[in-house]
Amino acid sequence: MKVVPFWGCMMPLKYPQMELALRRTLPNLGIELVDIDGFTCCPDPIYFKARDKMKWLVTAARNLAVAEETDHMLITMCSGCISTLKEAQFLLNEDPALKDEVNKRLKRINREYQGKTIIKHAVEMIRDDLGLEAVKKSIKKPLEGITVAIHYGCHILKPSQIMHVDDADYPSILEDFINAIGATPLEHHEKVLCCGKGCMDEELPLEMTEAIFASIEKSGADCMGLICPTCFSSFDLGQIMISRKKGKNYNIPVIYLFQLLGLAQGLSAEEVGLHIHRVKADRILEKINGSVKI
Amino acid sequence: MAKDKIVVNYRFRDKLNKVSGGKHHNYCYQCSACVAICPAARFAKEFNPRKILLKALLGMEEELLGKDSPIWLCTNCYSCYERCPQDVRPIEVIVALKNMAVEKQTAPANLTKLSENIAKTGMSVIFSSAVNRKREQLGLPELRTIPIDELKEILE
Repeated sequence: MKVVPFWGCMMPLKYPQMELALRRTLPNLGIELVDIDGFTCCPDPIYFKARDKMKWLVTAARNLAVAEETDHMLITMCSGCISTLKEAQFLLNEDPALKDEVNKRLKRINREYQGKTIIKHAVEMIRDDLGLEAVKKSIKKPLEGITVAIHYGCHILKPSQIMHVDDADYPSILEDFINAIGATPLEHHEKVLCCGKGCMDEELPLEMTEAIFASIEKSGADCMGLICPTCFSSFDLGQIMISRKKGKNYNIPVIYLFQLLGLAQGLSAEEVGLHIHRVKADRILEKINGSVKI
Repeated sequence: MAKDKIVVNYRFRDKLNKVSGGKHHNYCYQCSACVAICPAARFAKEFNPRKILLKALLGMEEELLGKDSPIWLCTNCYSCYERCPQDVRPIEVIVALKNMAVEKQTAPANLTKLSENIAKTGMSVIFSSAVNRKREQLGLPELRTIPIDELKEILE
Protein backbone atom coordinates (compact mmCIF):
# COMPACT_ATOMS: atom_id res chain seq x y z
CA MET A 1 0.00 0.00 0.00
CA LYS A 2 1.43 3.36 -1.07
CA VAL A 3 0.88 6.44 1.07
CA VAL A 4 2.29 9.97 1.03
CA PRO A 5 3.80 10.89 4.40
CA PHE A 6 3.32 14.41 5.72
CA TRP A 7 6.21 14.71 8.15
CA GLY A 8 5.56 18.25 9.40
CA CYS A 9 8.25 20.11 11.39
CA MET A 10 8.46 18.61 14.86
CA MET A 11 9.45 15.12 13.75
CA PRO A 12 12.06 15.82 11.05
CA LEU A 13 13.65 18.79 12.86
CA LYS A 14 13.15 18.26 16.57
CA TYR A 15 12.47 14.59 17.17
CA PRO A 16 13.95 12.73 14.18
CA GLN A 17 13.93 9.53 16.24
CA MET A 18 10.17 9.44 15.61
CA GLU A 19 10.66 9.71 11.85
CA LEU A 20 13.32 7.01 12.15
CA ALA A 21 10.94 4.65 13.96
CA LEU A 22 8.26 5.21 11.31
CA ARG A 23 10.63 4.70 8.39
CA ARG A 24 11.86 1.47 9.94
CA THR A 25 8.54 -0.01 11.07
CA LEU A 26 5.95 0.92 8.43
CA PRO A 27 7.60 -1.02 5.56
CA ASN A 28 7.34 -4.16 7.75
CA LEU A 29 3.57 -3.70 7.63
CA GLY A 30 3.54 -3.54 3.84
CA ILE A 31 3.35 0.24 3.68
CA GLU A 32 5.43 2.07 1.10
CA LEU A 33 6.16 5.70 1.95
CA VAL A 34 6.11 7.87 -1.18
CA ASP A 35 7.95 11.06 -0.20
CA ILE A 36 7.03 14.07 -2.32
CA ASP A 37 8.33 17.63 -2.64
CA GLY A 38 6.37 20.77 -1.94
CA PHE A 39 5.14 20.65 1.65
CA THR A 40 5.63 23.38 4.25
CA CYS A 41 4.66 23.40 7.95
CA CYS A 42 1.03 22.18 8.18
CA PRO A 43 0.89 25.04 9.72
CA ASP A 44 0.80 24.82 13.49
CA PRO A 45 -2.80 24.80 14.79
CA ILE A 46 -2.10 26.91 17.86
CA TYR A 47 0.13 29.96 17.48
CA PHE A 48 0.05 30.50 13.73
CA LYS A 49 -3.73 30.04 13.74
CA ALA A 50 -4.08 32.41 16.71
CA ARG A 51 -2.33 35.14 14.74
CA ASP A 52 -4.33 34.89 11.53
CA LYS A 53 -6.75 32.04 10.88
CA MET A 54 -7.07 32.92 7.19
CA LYS A 55 -3.30 32.61 6.65
CA TRP A 56 -3.36 29.37 8.59
CA LEU A 57 -6.13 28.02 6.35
CA VAL A 58 -4.49 29.11 3.08
CA THR A 59 -1.18 27.49 4.07
CA ALA A 60 -2.96 24.24 4.98
CA ALA A 61 -4.99 24.32 1.74
CA ARG A 62 -1.76 24.72 -0.23
CA ASN A 63 -0.31 21.60 1.39
CA LEU A 64 -3.50 19.70 0.59
CA ALA A 65 -3.39 20.92 -3.01
CA VAL A 66 0.18 19.58 -3.26
CA ALA A 67 -1.00 16.20 -1.91
CA GLU A 68 -3.85 16.13 -4.45
CA GLU A 69 -1.31 15.86 -7.23
CA THR A 70 -0.84 12.23 -6.24
CA ASP A 71 -3.64 9.69 -5.93
CA HIS A 72 -2.38 8.31 -2.65
CA MET A 73 -3.71 8.75 0.84
CA LEU A 74 -1.97 11.47 2.88
CA ILE A 75 -0.83 10.21 6.25
CA THR A 76 0.41 12.25 9.16
CA MET A 77 2.14 11.00 12.24
CA CYS A 78 1.89 14.20 14.29
CA SER A 79 -1.22 15.20 16.20
CA GLY A 80 -0.69 18.88 15.31
CA CYS A 81 -0.52 18.14 11.59
CA ILE A 82 -3.58 15.90 11.66
CA SER A 83 -5.49 18.58 13.54
CA THR A 84 -4.65 21.32 11.04
CA LEU A 85 -5.09 19.28 7.87
CA LYS A 86 -8.36 17.63 8.84
CA GLU A 87 -9.85 20.85 10.22
CA ALA A 88 -8.82 22.81 7.13
CA GLN A 89 -10.44 20.20 4.91
CA PHE A 90 -13.58 20.27 7.08
CA LEU A 91 -13.86 24.08 6.95
CA LEU A 92 -13.25 24.27 3.21
CA ASN A 93 -15.78 21.55 2.46
CA GLU A 94 -18.32 23.10 4.86
CA ASP A 95 -18.21 26.58 3.33
CA PRO A 96 -18.02 26.97 -0.49
CA ALA A 97 -17.51 30.75 -0.22
CA LEU A 98 -14.49 30.20 2.01
CA LYS A 99 -13.15 27.62 -0.43
CA ASP A 100 -13.46 30.15 -3.28
CA GLU A 101 -11.64 32.78 -1.25
CA VAL A 102 -8.82 30.34 -0.47
CA ASN A 103 -8.60 29.19 -4.07
CA LYS A 104 -8.28 32.80 -5.25
CA ARG A 105 -5.10 33.02 -3.19
CA LEU A 106 -3.85 29.64 -4.41
CA LYS A 107 -4.39 30.75 -8.00
CA ARG A 108 -1.47 33.16 -7.53
CA ILE A 109 0.79 30.11 -7.52
CA ASN A 110 -1.26 28.09 -10.03
CA ARG A 111 -2.62 25.70 -7.46
CA GLU A 112 -6.13 24.69 -6.56
CA TYR A 113 -7.65 22.97 -3.55
CA GLN A 114 -10.30 20.48 -4.63
CA GLY A 115 -10.80 18.45 -1.46
CA LYS A 116 -10.31 14.98 -2.84
CA THR A 117 -7.41 13.73 -0.72
CA ILE A 118 -8.06 11.23 2.05
CA ILE A 119 -6.15 12.32 5.15
CA LYS A 120 -5.49 9.92 8.00
CA HIS A 121 -3.27 9.60 11.01
CA ALA A 122 -0.87 6.64 10.66
CA VAL A 123 -2.51 4.67 13.50
CA GLU A 124 -5.94 5.33 12.02
CA MET A 125 -4.76 4.11 8.60
CA ILE A 126 -3.21 1.00 10.14
CA ARG A 127 -6.40 0.17 12.03
CA ASP A 128 -8.82 0.91 9.18
CA ASP A 129 -6.96 0.11 5.97
CA LEU A 130 -4.52 -2.62 7.01
CA GLY A 131 -6.04 -4.09 10.14
CA LEU A 132 -4.19 -4.81 13.37
CA GLU A 133 -3.56 -8.34 12.14
CA ALA A 134 -0.86 -6.85 9.90
CA VAL A 135 0.77 -5.38 13.01
CA LYS A 136 0.61 -8.72 14.82
CA LYS A 137 2.15 -10.51 11.85
CA SER A 138 5.13 -8.12 11.82
CA ILE A 139 6.01 -8.84 15.46
CA LYS A 140 9.15 -10.85 16.14
CA LYS A 141 9.55 -10.13 19.79
CA PRO A 142 6.20 -9.48 21.51
CA LEU A 143 6.60 -7.02 24.39
CA GLU A 144 5.18 -9.49 26.88
CA GLY A 145 5.07 -8.26 30.44
CA ILE A 146 5.65 -4.61 29.45
CA THR A 147 2.98 -2.30 30.83
CA VAL A 148 2.24 0.94 29.00
CA ALA A 149 0.32 3.93 30.34
CA ILE A 150 -1.18 5.58 27.29
CA HIS A 151 -1.36 9.32 26.86
CA TYR A 152 -3.76 10.14 24.03
CA GLY A 153 -3.13 13.84 23.63
CA CYS A 154 -5.99 16.00 22.38
CA HIS A 155 -5.81 16.47 18.68
CA ILE A 156 -6.04 12.95 17.35
CA LEU A 157 -9.45 12.64 19.02
CA LYS A 158 -11.04 16.07 19.28
CA PRO A 159 -13.27 17.33 17.86
CA SER A 160 -14.60 13.90 16.89
CA GLN A 161 -16.97 15.62 14.44
CA ILE A 162 -13.86 16.41 12.37
CA MET A 163 -11.30 13.81 13.38
CA HIS A 164 -13.52 10.73 13.04
CA VAL A 165 -10.94 8.55 14.78
CA ASP A 166 -12.53 7.30 17.99
CA ASP A 167 -14.77 8.08 20.96
CA ALA A 168 -13.19 11.17 22.48
CA ASP A 169 -14.00 10.17 26.08
CA TYR A 170 -13.50 6.41 25.95
CA PRO A 171 -11.05 5.79 23.12
CA SER A 172 -9.47 2.41 22.48
CA ILE A 173 -7.45 2.81 19.27
CA LEU A 174 -4.09 3.08 21.06
CA GLU A 175 -4.87 0.33 23.60
CA ASP A 176 -5.70 -1.99 20.69
CA PHE A 177 -2.38 -1.08 19.08
CA ILE A 178 -0.47 -1.79 22.32
CA ASN A 179 -2.24 -5.14 22.66
CA ALA A 180 -1.31 -6.00 19.08
CA ILE A 181 2.41 -5.61 19.86
CA GLY A 182 2.08 -7.91 22.85
CA ALA A 183 2.39 -5.28 25.59
CA THR A 184 -0.28 -4.49 28.18
CA PRO A 185 -2.00 -1.10 28.29
CA LEU A 186 -2.63 0.07 31.87
CA GLU A 187 -5.56 2.31 32.72
CA HIS A 188 -4.87 5.56 34.55
CA HIS A 189 -7.36 8.28 35.36
CA GLU A 190 -5.70 11.17 33.45
CA LYS A 191 -5.38 9.23 30.19
CA VAL A 192 -7.18 11.84 28.09
CA LEU A 193 -6.07 14.98 29.95
CA CYS A 194 -4.36 17.64 27.82
CA CYS A 195 -0.58 17.94 28.36
CA GLY A 196 -0.93 21.73 28.58
CA LYS A 197 1.67 22.62 25.99
CA GLY A 198 -0.71 24.80 23.96
CA CYS A 199 -1.38 27.11 26.91
CA MET A 200 0.49 30.41 26.90
CA ASP A 201 1.21 30.38 30.61
CA GLU A 202 4.25 29.16 32.51
CA GLU A 203 2.71 27.49 35.54
CA LEU A 204 -0.46 25.91 34.17
CA PRO A 205 1.20 23.42 31.76
CA LEU A 206 3.51 22.17 34.52
CA GLU A 207 0.56 21.51 36.80
CA MET A 208 -1.20 19.60 34.06
CA THR A 209 1.78 17.45 33.13
CA GLU A 210 2.38 16.78 36.80
CA ALA A 211 -1.20 15.57 37.25
CA ILE A 212 -0.59 13.14 34.38
CA PHE A 213 2.74 11.92 35.82
CA ALA A 214 1.13 11.35 39.21
CA SER A 215 -1.64 9.36 37.55
CA ILE A 216 0.85 7.22 35.61
CA GLU A 217 3.08 6.69 38.64
CA LYS A 218 0.06 5.42 40.55
CA SER A 219 -0.72 2.99 37.71
CA GLY A 220 2.74 1.46 38.09
CA ALA A 221 3.30 1.30 34.32
CA ASP A 222 6.80 0.62 32.93
CA CYS A 223 6.56 3.50 30.50
CA MET A 224 4.35 6.10 28.95
CA GLY A 225 3.23 5.50 25.36
CA LEU A 226 2.16 8.41 23.17
CA ILE A 227 1.77 9.55 19.58
CA CYS A 228 2.16 13.32 19.67
CA PRO A 229 5.58 15.04 19.38
CA THR A 230 4.32 18.12 21.22
CA CYS A 231 3.13 15.99 24.13
CA PHE A 232 6.52 14.25 23.97
CA SER A 233 8.32 17.52 24.71
CA SER A 234 5.97 18.12 27.66
CA PHE A 235 6.82 14.75 29.15
CA ASP A 236 10.42 13.98 28.21
CA LEU A 237 12.06 17.37 28.67
CA GLY A 238 9.08 18.19 30.90
CA GLN A 239 10.21 15.63 33.48
CA ILE A 240 13.58 17.38 33.74
CA MET A 241 11.78 20.74 34.18
CA ILE A 242 9.52 19.35 36.91
CA SER A 243 12.48 17.80 38.65
CA ARG A 244 14.28 21.19 38.60
CA LYS A 245 11.32 23.35 39.54
CA LYS A 246 9.49 21.07 41.95
CA GLY A 247 12.17 18.66 43.08
CA LYS A 248 10.11 15.62 42.14
CA ASN A 249 11.70 12.87 40.02
CA TYR A 250 9.24 10.65 38.19
CA ASN A 251 11.68 8.81 35.93
CA ILE A 252 9.00 7.55 33.55
CA PRO A 253 10.36 6.70 30.07
CA VAL A 254 8.28 8.40 27.38
CA ILE A 255 8.07 6.30 24.22
CA TYR A 256 6.52 7.07 20.86
CA LEU A 257 4.13 4.31 19.81
CA PHE A 258 6.10 3.46 16.68
CA GLN A 259 9.28 3.10 18.74
CA LEU A 260 7.46 0.48 20.79
CA LEU A 261 6.35 -1.17 17.56
CA GLY A 262 9.99 -1.16 16.40
CA LEU A 263 11.16 -2.88 19.59
CA ALA A 264 8.46 -5.51 19.11
CA GLN A 265 9.55 -5.97 15.50
CA GLY A 266 12.98 -6.87 16.86
CA LEU A 267 14.75 -3.55 16.26
CA SER A 268 17.29 -2.34 18.82
CA ALA A 269 16.82 0.72 21.03
CA GLU A 270 19.30 2.63 18.87
CA GLU A 271 17.56 1.60 15.67
CA VAL A 272 14.43 3.38 16.89
CA GLY A 273 16.35 6.32 18.38
CA LEU A 274 15.54 5.65 22.04
CA HIS A 275 19.09 6.52 23.03
CA ILE A 276 18.52 10.23 22.44
CA HIS A 277 15.64 10.58 24.86
CA ARG A 278 16.28 12.59 28.04
CA VAL A 279 14.57 10.08 30.28
CA LYS A 280 16.40 6.84 29.63
CA ALA A 281 14.46 3.69 28.92
CA ASP A 282 17.02 1.32 30.50
CA ARG A 283 14.55 -0.30 32.89
CA ILE A 284 12.08 -1.30 30.21
CA LEU A 285 14.86 -2.38 27.84
CA GLU A 286 16.26 -4.63 30.53
CA LYS A 287 12.83 -6.16 30.86
CA ILE A 288 12.69 -6.74 27.10
CA ASN A 289 16.28 -7.79 26.42
CA GLY A 290 17.79 -8.92 29.67
CA SER A 291 20.47 -6.50 30.82
CA VAL A 292 21.15 -4.37 27.74
CA LYS A 293 22.08 -0.76 28.45
CA ILE A 294 21.88 2.18 26.07
CA MET B 1 -21.62 46.68 34.65
CA ALA B 2 -24.51 48.38 36.43
CA LYS B 3 -26.89 46.00 38.18
CA ASP B 4 -30.05 47.48 36.75
CA LYS B 5 -28.92 48.10 33.22
CA ILE B 6 -27.15 45.78 30.80
CA VAL B 7 -25.78 47.42 27.71
CA VAL B 8 -24.83 45.12 24.86
CA ASN B 9 -22.09 46.32 22.54
CA TYR B 10 -23.47 45.06 19.23
CA ARG B 11 -20.78 46.85 17.28
CA PHE B 12 -18.19 44.52 18.82
CA ARG B 13 -20.38 41.48 18.19
CA ASP B 14 -20.72 42.48 14.54
CA LYS B 15 -16.96 42.64 14.29
CA LEU B 16 -16.61 39.22 15.95
CA ASN B 17 -19.21 37.77 13.54
CA LYS B 18 -17.01 38.71 10.63
CA VAL B 19 -13.90 36.94 11.90
CA SER B 20 -13.62 33.26 10.94
CA GLY B 21 -15.19 31.13 13.69
CA GLY B 22 -16.59 34.16 15.53
CA LYS B 23 -20.18 33.87 14.35
CA HIS B 24 -20.87 30.73 16.36
CA HIS B 25 -20.72 32.75 19.61
CA ASN B 26 -24.36 33.67 18.94
CA TYR B 27 -25.51 30.11 19.63
CA CYS B 28 -24.24 29.95 23.24
CA TYR B 29 -26.99 29.48 25.84
CA GLN B 30 -24.62 29.46 28.80
CA CYS B 31 -25.10 25.84 29.87
CA SER B 32 -21.50 25.43 31.19
CA ALA B 33 -20.91 22.03 29.60
CA CYS B 34 -17.61 23.48 28.30
CA VAL B 35 -16.52 24.51 31.79
CA ALA B 36 -17.02 21.02 33.18
CA ILE B 37 -14.67 19.48 30.61
CA CYS B 38 -12.12 22.35 30.29
CA PRO B 39 -8.65 21.48 31.66
CA ALA B 40 -7.61 25.13 31.85
CA ALA B 41 -10.70 25.84 34.01
CA ARG B 42 -9.79 22.88 36.22
CA PHE B 43 -6.27 24.16 36.87
CA ALA B 44 -6.75 27.95 36.69
CA LYS B 45 -9.68 29.57 38.46
CA GLU B 46 -9.43 32.70 36.30
CA PHE B 47 -10.23 30.76 33.13
CA ASN B 48 -13.86 29.98 32.37
CA PRO B 49 -15.00 29.42 28.78
CA ARG B 50 -18.67 30.09 29.62
CA LYS B 51 -17.74 33.52 31.00
CA ILE B 52 -15.67 34.25 27.90
CA LEU B 53 -18.73 33.44 25.77
CA LEU B 54 -20.95 35.58 28.04
CA LYS B 55 -18.58 38.51 27.61
CA ALA B 56 -18.67 37.94 23.85
CA LEU B 57 -22.49 37.96 23.92
CA LEU B 58 -22.43 41.22 25.85
CA GLY B 59 -19.74 42.65 23.58
CA MET B 60 -17.27 43.37 26.37
CA GLU B 61 -14.40 44.23 24.08
CA GLU B 62 -11.94 45.59 26.63
CA GLU B 63 -12.16 42.51 28.88
CA LEU B 64 -11.74 40.13 25.97
CA LEU B 65 -9.12 41.93 23.92
CA GLY B 66 -7.27 43.84 26.64
CA LYS B 67 -3.77 42.90 27.72
CA ASP B 68 -5.05 40.91 30.71
CA SER B 69 -7.57 38.89 28.74
CA PRO B 70 -7.96 35.29 29.97
CA ILE B 71 -8.19 33.96 26.37
CA TRP B 72 -4.45 33.22 26.31
CA LEU B 73 -4.81 30.60 29.06
CA CYS B 74 -6.77 28.33 26.70
CA THR B 75 -4.88 25.07 26.21
CA ASN B 76 -6.29 24.50 22.70
CA CYS B 77 -7.44 20.99 23.61
CA TYR B 78 -10.79 21.10 21.76
CA SER B 79 -12.69 19.53 24.69
CA CYS B 80 -15.21 22.40 24.63
CA TYR B 81 -15.78 21.89 20.90
CA GLU B 82 -16.36 18.20 21.63
CA ARG B 83 -18.83 18.81 24.43
CA CYS B 84 -20.82 21.87 23.32
CA PRO B 85 -24.45 20.93 22.52
CA GLN B 86 -24.95 24.13 20.53
CA ASP B 87 -22.05 23.86 18.05
CA VAL B 88 -20.60 27.09 19.46
CA ARG B 89 -17.11 25.67 18.96
CA PRO B 90 -15.90 27.79 21.92
CA ILE B 91 -12.22 27.30 21.07
CA GLU B 92 -12.82 28.70 17.60
CA VAL B 93 -14.52 31.75 19.13
CA ILE B 94 -11.44 32.13 21.34
CA VAL B 95 -9.19 31.82 18.25
CA ALA B 96 -11.31 34.53 16.55
CA LEU B 97 -10.82 36.74 19.63
CA LYS B 98 -7.08 36.06 19.48
CA ASN B 99 -7.02 37.11 15.81
CA MET B 100 -8.76 40.35 16.83
CA ALA B 101 -6.27 40.93 19.66
CA VAL B 102 -3.40 40.48 17.20
CA GLU B 103 -5.02 43.08 14.94
CA LYS B 104 -5.38 45.40 17.92
CA GLN B 105 -1.77 44.71 18.94
CA THR B 106 -2.71 43.55 22.41
CA ALA B 107 -1.62 39.91 21.97
CA PRO B 108 1.29 38.66 24.13
CA ALA B 109 4.68 39.42 22.59
CA ASN B 110 5.79 35.78 22.59
CA LEU B 111 2.95 34.82 20.24
CA THR B 112 4.91 36.39 17.37
CA LYS B 113 8.08 34.66 18.50
CA LEU B 114 6.31 31.28 18.56
CA SER B 115 4.93 31.61 15.05
CA GLU B 116 7.08 33.98 12.96
CA ASN B 117 9.41 31.25 11.72
CA ILE B 118 6.68 29.73 9.53
CA ALA B 119 6.25 32.79 7.32
CA LYS B 120 10.04 33.24 7.14
CA THR B 121 11.17 29.68 6.44
CA GLY B 122 8.03 27.60 5.93
CA MET B 123 8.75 25.57 9.06
CA SER B 124 7.69 26.15 12.67
CA VAL B 125 10.91 24.74 14.11
CA ILE B 126 14.14 26.67 13.54
CA PHE B 127 16.51 24.81 11.27
CA SER B 128 20.19 24.53 12.14
CA SER B 129 23.12 22.53 10.84
CA ALA B 130 22.91 20.48 14.04
CA VAL B 131 19.56 19.16 12.80
CA ASN B 132 21.12 17.72 9.66
CA ARG B 133 24.00 16.24 11.67
CA LYS B 134 21.56 14.52 14.00
CA ARG B 135 19.57 13.21 11.02
CA GLU B 136 22.72 11.96 9.36
CA GLN B 137 23.78 10.13 12.51
CA LEU B 138 20.41 8.41 12.57
CA GLY B 139 20.69 7.49 8.88
CA LEU B 140 17.75 9.67 7.81
CA PRO B 141 17.48 11.24 4.35
CA GLU B 142 18.36 14.88 3.82
CA LEU B 143 15.54 17.36 4.38
CA ARG B 144 13.64 18.43 1.29
CA THR B 145 13.71 22.00 0.08
CA ILE B 146 10.82 24.08 1.40
CA PRO B 147 8.95 26.07 -1.28
CA ILE B 148 9.15 29.30 0.68
CA ASP B 149 8.55 31.53 -2.37
CA GLU B 150 5.16 29.90 -2.98
CA LEU B 151 4.26 30.33 0.66
CA LYS B 152 5.23 34.01 0.71
CA GLU B 153 3.13 34.60 -2.40
CA ILE B 154 -0.08 33.30 -0.80
CA LEU B 155 0.54 34.88 2.61
CA GLU B 156 0.89 38.44 1.28
